[in-house]
Amino acid sequence: MTSPASESVVVPSRAHGIDRVAAFGAAVALAACLLLPLSVFRANRIVEGSPHTALSTGPAGWVLLGACLAALAVALLARPAARVRALPLAASALTIALAWALGRAAVTLRAGQPDISRVSIGGGAWLMAAGCAVVWFASRDYDGASTFRRAAAAVAVAGFAGAALAGGLANLSIVTEYSDRAARFWSAAGTHLALAGGSLLIAILIGVPLGVLSLRVRWLRTVTLGVVGLIQTVPSLALLGLLVFPLAALGLPGIGPLPGVIALTLYALLPIVRNTYVGLSEVDPAIVDAGRGMGMSGSQLLLRVEAPLALPLVIEGVRSAAVLVIGIAAVVAFVGVGTLGVLVFEGWGVQADDLILLGAVPMVVLAVAADSGLRALARAATSPGIR
Amino acid sequence: MIRLENVTKRYGETTAVQGLSLEVAAGEVCVLIGPSGCGKTTTLRMINRLIEPTSGRIVVNDHDVTEQSPEQLRRGLGYVIQSVGLFPHLTVADNIVTVPRLLGWDRARMEARGTGLLALVGLDPAEYAGKYPRQLSGGEAQRVGVARALAADPPVLLMDEPFGAVDPLTRERLQAEFARIQRELHKTVVFVTHDVDEAIRLADRIAVMRDGRLQQYDTPEEILDHPANKFVHDFMGADRALKRLGRVRVDSVMRADVPVMAEERSADAVAERAACSESRFVYLVDGDHRLEGWFDCRALVSGASAESAITTVDWREVSVHPDTSLKEALSRMLGLGFRSISVVDATGVLLGIVGLADIEETMTDSDAHISMAPVGLGAAGEAEA
Amino acid sequence: MNRRRTGFGVVAVAAVAFGYLVSRQDWWAAALTRLFPSLPQAVFPSATVADLVTQHLQIVGVSSAITLVVGLPLGIWVTRPSGQEFRELVAATVDFGQTFPPVAVLALMMPLLGLGLAPAIVALSLYGLFPVVSNTVAGLEAVPPAVLDAARGMGMGKWRILFTVELPLAARVIMAGIRTSVIINIGTATVAAATGAGGLGSPIYSGINLQNGAWVLEGAVAAALLAILADSVLAQVERAVAPVA
Repeated sequence: MTSPASESVVVPSRAHGIDRVAAFGAAVALAACLLLPLSVFRANRIVEGSPHTALSTGPAGWVLLGACLAALAVALLARPAARVRALPLAASALTIALAWALGRAAVTLRAGQPDISRVSIGGGAWLMAAGCAVVWFASRDYDGASTFRRAAAAVAVAGFAGAALAGGLANLSIVTEYSDRAARFWSAAGTHLALAGGSLLIAILIGVPLGVLSLRVRWLRTVTLGVVGLIQTVPSLALLGLLVFPLAALGLPGIGPLPGVIALTLYALLPIVRNTYVGLSEVDPAIVDAGRGMGMSGSQLLLRVEAPLALPLVIEGVRSAAVLVIGIAAVVAFVGVGTLGVLVFEGWGVQADDLILLGAVPMVVLAVAADSGLRALARAATSPGIR
Repeated sequence: MIRLENVTKRYGETTAVQGLSLEVAAGEVCVLIGPSGCGKTTTLRMINRLIEPTSGRIVVNDHDVTEQSPEQLRRGLGYVIQSVGLFPHLTVADNIVTVPRLLGWDRARMEARGTGLLALVGLDPAEYAGKYPRQLSGGEAQRVGVARALAADPPVLLMDEPFGAVDPLTRERLQAEFARIQRELHKTVVFVTHDVDEAIRLADRIAVMRDGRLQQYDTPEEILDHPANKFVHDFMGADRALKRLGRVRVDSVMRADVPVMAEERSADAVAERAACSESRFVYLVDGDHRLEGWFDCRALVSGASAESAITTVDWREVSVHPDTSLKEALSRMLGLGFRSISVVDATGVLLGIVGLADIEETMTDSDAHISMAPVGLGAAGEAEA
Repeated sequence: MNRRRTGFGVVAVAAVAFGYLVSRQDWWAAALTRLFPSLPQAVFPSATVADLVTQHLQIVGVSSAITLVVGLPLGIWVTRPSGQEFRELVAATVDFGQTFPPVAVLALMMPLLGLGLAPAIVALSLYGLFPVVSNTVAGLEAVPPAVLDAARGMGMGKWRILFTVELPLAARVIMAGIRTSVIINIGTATVAAATGAGGLGSPIYSGINLQNGAWVLEGAVAAALLAILADSVLAQVERAVAPVA
């Protein structure tokens, strides 16, 4: 969502008064700290957990509360000039305090308990993390201290790592779940990536030429966009279910990686084909005329002129497809492919929350990484002349 | 040179171009002009085979255009269009050497060519080579477009309303630049426009078209003086006589022997100069013969003081350059309220005077002046090199 | 105009046909036993197709309602002067949220809300927010400033401008967002059957688990038809709210 209109609007309270966005984030964190559990203790994996708020887990919890209050104070009381540095500092402090408190809580709650006891991340901790992220986000808008901000962020990351290693984050049950099945985890993650990446590649190899051809051949355009658009609406689970039958009829396995790859490729096709077509069709006809008039052949025109101009939009389509495909790769776990979805489904089956998280969080990380990576690629591939 | 032999283009029921035959000599600027839909752009685009004629033959430099593939043909022709069509993702320099790159020139040669062409079209290479089209103004973009068309040094240039998309001031400048470049390079140019003044200013010959047919093909002077039919007569405009003046340079009719006074400025000194009895004004110049003002003799007669007879001027505001057209000179005269106007060079040195009487003479003696009038603003017949 | 009418007519007929088809459990039973003669139980026993479709529509309907009630006002607020400050945050959150795999959002609900209908509805409502908010903001911000200026100049108040000028002009884009949201939700609701929410995913899951191809086909065909039909209906609505024909 970009908007020239909003850029011309002055955001008054950033210049004078309270920073409502930062205040919102800090308030959410504070409320979560006081009212929601930081950690949840379970005697064993399947028993109902008992929640513990931050304050009840010891001094680290009080420090965390202090950090929330400090952030709120900065948002409400500090002068805007001071906020330039104070906000990143507060966000950094809150991040480290949260990581530390989580670790200490895990250690404290498990002290004297049998080994199979588990401490998981409570809803309050997630919400505090979200509030902290909002405060970081709010600190972005202040001009003139970006190096300071980056330094504060680096400190936060270091602090987080420190808390992870020394403060006992290793005691969290999600880590236990991981260490219990590390090999399976990495295998699942690898399969997820391979499946998504492979299908994306195939979709690009099929989709981009289809998009190019759609430009020249009108009926192909209608048919292709129509078919691919139709597939897009069908629920992924249903498509996988439907694929079983034609595959079985052809003597091919109806479950396993083959229907998975086929389904993912089909879903990835729409954004890629459509964006290729739109990108090419948006090239100014005068430019094409000038190119032809200068003696460029059709393929030279495509390669040297139309493709570079359409490239940003095509990469945008690939980005869209990548995010989509990473999501559907989870569902594919249900037809017997060992992606991260397997961990989620297993977790659902035995109601082991941390196993669910072990599957879900890496999925999100993959999707966000692919999204950012491809956005950066799109920017890099855009000639400075057309930014 | 270019020859069209009975070229016709039909689109189903409609005929865009009908039986067109004309010949453009090497080094000439041929302007195709006419109302919208007359077929001028279609004709232009048939020369480089962006459109294929229904019948007829087109010959460029003694070769039928169908002898080569269209791409080969077009790489030997320069093509400039109204919306320029610069490639937005390439720098100015890369845009210019598009065709050389297609022809496989080496990098050093392309870079040198690009720099030279930018200078030729009046843009500083150091400043413009690395810019992108979106950073250019309309006039700058079109200059780059012309440079791009000239990159592979084609003998022929095809231009489709190239200066139509810019403001009038920029258009005038671009026309002057084009005339200057043409004087240097002597390309064979086919130029499409609907602007009569532009055609008169730039053409060696004008081809007037209407509904796909050629109405008249001749020099601007001939068309203005002897229009072939009512359409051409009306199309060239009711101010044909004034337009005609646009073809004559000031320095071809000016009087160079002008009474001047360099040192003594006192009224008596001036009066003593016999000049006052011959002409009304004596021109005051400095040591380098630069115009500083004039002395109105008539003022003396009426008994006014000598000082009031002297007018000091800034030569930039009340003069024209030698290559200005008579039309513009007349316009300046009318604007200033003068009956004559001084002609100076770039530094202000007084070269001569042009008066209403001289203009009148030009109009009535048009035949004699046709031979004196320079062809396309720059060939034989001008007063200075 | 005529094309729009015939499109609308075709979709209406298709909807009625689908509704009828869904109600004829006997047709499903007959067809499935024909296709899978070797299976003892060719039809999903726990619920009729009609029940499953109803469950599915309920999940999607309730979560879409929640999405609209929360998302539209949020999108509007963020484009008003009072909410401008939060526009960047909301935009970033929505962009970030749209990269989340829907399954992940569903998965993350479980630790908080357990199994059943509740986590599915919350997850769908949340995930459906993103396209709706995104498109509401985009649609409202695309209203030409000149139009707003003219309206203000004529003396129209803020609310009147919002309801009679801005929203109608943004309607098509907003509707496109709602359509995206609903279609994604139909898909995610299919997966949500694994958390005990019911719906057309149930026969598919059970079918795969118990190796019963007929149940899989039953669920998959019904879900696919439902999705395509819903998309067509919403496409008609989208066309209908276009401000200029």
